[in-house]
Amino acid sequence: MIQYILHRVLLMIPTVFGISILCFGIIQLPPGDFLTFYVAELSAQGESVPEAQIAQLERQYGLGRPWYVQYFLWMKNIITKGDFGRSFTWNKPVSDLIWDRIAFTMLITLLTVVFVWIVALFIGKYAATHQYSLGDYIATFFGFIGLAVPNFLLALLLLYYSLQLFGLSPAGLFSPEYQDAPWSVGKWIDLLAHLWIPIVILGTAGTAGAIRILRANLLDELHKPYVITARAKGVPERTLIWRYPVRVALNPFISTVGWTLPDLVSGSIIVSVVLNLPTTGPLLLGALLQQDMFLAGSFILLVSVLTVIGTLISDVLLAWLDPRIRFS
Amino acid sequence: MSNSNHNAGADILLDIRGLKTYFHLDEGTVRAVDGVDFTVPRGTTIGIVGESGCGKSVTAFSILQLVEKPGRIEEGSIVLNTGGQNRVDIAALDHDSEELRQIRGKDIGMIFQEPMTSLSMMYTVGFQMTEAIRLHMDVEKDEARDRAIEMLQAVGIPRPEQRFDAYPFELSGGMRQRVMIAMALSCDPMLLIADEPTTALDVTTQAQILELMQQLQEEFGMAIMLITHDLGVVAEMCSEVVVMYLGEVVEQADVDTIFHNPQHPYTQALLESIPRLGHSHEGRLNPILGSVPDPYHRPSGCPFHPRCTQIITGRCETVHPEISRLDPRHTVRCLLHEDPHG
Amino acid sequence: MTATPHAATPSALPPVETPESQEDMRLLVAGQWQLMWWRFRKHKVAMVATAVSLLIYFVAVFAEFLAPLPRDHYAADYTFAPPQRIKLILEDEFGNREFHPHVLGYTVEIEAVALRRVFKPDPEQVIELGFFVDGLEEYRVLGIFPSRKHLFGPKDPTQPFYLFGADKLGQDLYSRLIFGTRISMTIGLVGVALSLIFGILLGGVSGLFGGTVDNIIQRTIEFFRAVPSIPLWMGLSAALPEDWDAIKRYFAITVILSILGWTGLARVVRGRFLSLREEDFVMSARLDGVAELGIILRYMLPSFLSHIIASVTLSIPGMILAETSLSFLGLGLRPPVVSWGVLLKDAQRVQVLATAPWLLIAAVPVIVSVLALNYVGDGLRDAADPYSR
Repeated sequence: MIQYILHRVLLMIPTVFGISILCFGIIQLPPGDFLTFYVAELSAQGESVPEAQIAQLERQYGLGRPWYVQYFLWMKNIITKGDFGRSFTWNKPVSDLIWDRIAFTMLITLLTVVFVWIVALFIGKYAATHQYSLGDYIATFFGFIGLAVPNFLLALLLLYYSLQLFGLSPAGLFSPEYQDAPWSVGKWIDLLAHLWIPIVILGTAGTAGAIRILRANLLDELHKPYVITARAKGVPERTLIWRYPVRVALNPFISTVGWTLPDLVSGSIIVSVVLNLPTTGPLLLGALLQQDMFLAGSFILLVSVLTVIGTLISDVLLAWLDPRIRFS
Repeated sequence: MSNSNHNAGADILLDIRGLKTYFHLDEGTVRAVDGVDFTVPRGTTIGIVGESGCGKSVTAFSILQLVEKPGRIEEGSIVLNTGGQNRVDIAALDHDSEELRQIRGKDIGMIFQEPMTSLSMMYTVGFQMTEAIRLHMDVEKDEARDRAIEMLQAVGIPRPEQRFDAYPFELSGGMRQRVMIAMALSCDPMLLIADEPTTALDVTTQAQILELMQQLQEEFGMAIMLITHDLGVVAEMCSEVVVMYLGEVVEQADVDTIFHNPQHPYTQALLESIPRLGHSHEGRLNPILGSVPDPYHRPSGCPFHPRCTQIITGRCETVHPEISRLDPRHTVRCLLHEDPHG
Repeated sequence: MTATPHAATPSALPPVETPESQEDMRLLVAGQWQLMWWRFRKHKVAMVATAVSLLIYFVAVFAEFLAPLPRDHYAADYTFAPPQRIKLILEDEFGNREFHPHVLGYTVEIEAVALRRVFKPDPEQVIELGFFVDGLEEYRVLGIFPSRKHLFGPKDPTQPFYLFGADKLGQDLYSRLIFGTRISMTIGLVGVALSLIFGILLGGVSGLFGGTVDNIIQRTIEFFRAVPSIPLWMGLSAALPEDWDAIKRYFAITVILSILGWTGLARVVRGRFLSLREEDFVMSARLDGVAELGIILRYMLPSFLSHIIASVTLSIPGMILAETSLSFLGLGLRPPVVSWGVLLKDAQRVQVLATAPWLLIAAVPVIVSVLALNYVGDGLRDAADPYSR
């Protein structure tokens, strides 16, 4: 088992390396570098930047030197100092801007995973054990709808209807009175009261997919000999379904979390833009539109790396849950 | 073994009458079991034989109501006599009723063809065994564990305490079938249904498992219903034989009668198609003509007539034969042996 | 559970040929595509979905004819004009009712408080509609034949006709949706075609050579699947130079979408390759001395082509959704190019949505086409293995 985890962690290293190269590529793609933008921006406002400061920044980020030197400096700054570079639009270090946002993104994604899981587990089990029943058809149909409706559209519809029906906008994660308040019990409750909306919206597509997967897996398992053995032992039907076929069908299900996670993170970014949530989405979009590349690149880097770690965790969890993998 | 009692009116453990189990498929209805009658005397081994698709496994599954959709028991009774006046018609019970669950695993244990897939890979051998024990016996966890280990020992599994915590995928096929037997017998059932228990095993393991079943029968005294297509196994194990063809019982008798004085042309053909010591047909076997008909197109009249060598032209195609009783424990369903008294 | 394999036991009876019924004979001589078609035909939903998909592509091809107005036609007078209802019966002043399809024009009031223009249907202004009417501008059918005809529209093309309402420039949403079909549906096709080239090439190489090559390609695929797609797409499309024209941008976006899209197809190709390599008929061809390339082209390709087609169909909806998402964010295609995502971008802001909820109608074709293509792909996938049941 330990060996398996080590193996997986080792496999992760080239992936993370690849991601960092890719993100650095994105940072470098637009013509010019952030310093030119920065200087231009400040000059436009009638301010001048001291030569010394420019020189200092140039040195710090290796500007003007070959790309691999710049890449190396960027990585070195991140790893040793947690310094992701500077955002010229905010005129702040990137690290000051991203961590809150990343935390909210991860919180929402994580809760969505839990939501997707629980809902899909119960509906999928129902659809499989009641194959070709009305409930099964409804679940299948909603499954398809859930897959076909992009979640930003759901968010838009929700915005529109809550505006029409209640005259209020469900956007954001906090009510105005808690927006800038320090953390308290009240603020947490307020957060939870707002949080379910993006979770449901984000979770719809994932749930639809997960129901389909679980239903198909469970249908494969329901008639396996070991289920009949358990039935022949006199195990009550309800216990039997959960304990035997569902237990086995869960394995591919857990492993799919690995690849639903990237989708959920993707979805959360675009839904956040629509619902104006204080997560990665709006800031990343703003950064990209203004070509504030250090900020954007860092976001993409962190989100991707955290996704890879999440995938790793789900794989390890799967391995631990399945005795066949645990013991091999 | 082959000489145990078969007196008429012997203590009957299981009495199956008019059992019909059909599968309702899109393409039509498959009458997998179509009016099966036979009885299982207490403490004996009865063999159910026939070609693939003759309904022998479905019969066995019907006894514990394990037939799954789209299959359904349409008619008939399966009366289990658990002793004295205690009679239950299993066919009449609800498929998830407490009563039926008390019979499953407690009064009747069952083992299957595929030991590789009959145990869940997710749980230890011990978990799956004690689950059955604790469902049917009023015991604590420790006692259940002791009982399971005792049973593992009884089926000849070395180091049972360690095997108790093993996962099925760590065991060989033969060992898994032993675990299945141990599990099926752990609550002291009166009947063990064995659905082709050795088909998936290699030849030496087959012999060991059969021997084990005989030995356990002596020890525990349960009846065994052995479903097989292997007449050699029947000759070795059973005291009574039920021969099935296309969902019907065509002949039932004690093992000696079946092998030495078979009356139904199908039984005769079946016996001629296997090699037997001392019965050389000039070194040739006689395969049965044709193959089992398509389940959706059952022949009219006697279902065996298209393949029968002793067909009475003009009658067998149209008349469906009734059961004739040749002697108290020998019945046959064939127009050649029509009972003149109805 | 009744099936018992004929093991090597004494009673195993030799099967004897039974005469096949006509149905069976038909099945025996039918080719693979014939079998697939029979199987696919049985899948009613997939058949309907195929019809819908073909219809959508038809709309894409004949957009100029089907749309009442040219793509970029705008009318500042009708900013955010609401949808008009088509009425079939016209009552004249004498109370005679006659069949005359028409819509009503607008009266405009300025709301005092919000300083908003409010459109009301004006019963006085009857705008007659007709089939095969002449439009404002000449266009070319399939880019070749000049024509002015439109399937239907106002008999006088200068009169306002807003079936689905107007956007902020007074452009007809209905016409723009039809033009958007062309871009949205083809970006899926072009993107998938690119992905397919990558996918077959890399998946085939991976499955054919195995070993280190396979390992490297597999790792690459895993890498791309581990990365969340939207941020990556966003990053790449934001990095596209601002001064690129519409066509360049269109192709750049398809390339960006297929950077991630090829991985799924490559997996399918590789998996098929590996499993087919072990098939008996491939082995027998090899034993017959057929050259490796011959085996691939003559024996293996036909038998996995069906799977590829199914996978391709299933990956088009993903492309459509991706383009819609990117354009919606303002990072994908940009006006004057019209795609469903570009149209939806107008609906991004709540304030706009409150004034002009009809802008959301651009979501309908997205959902319909994605659903339809998914069902077609599902049906194809089921039919792809005509020998399994």
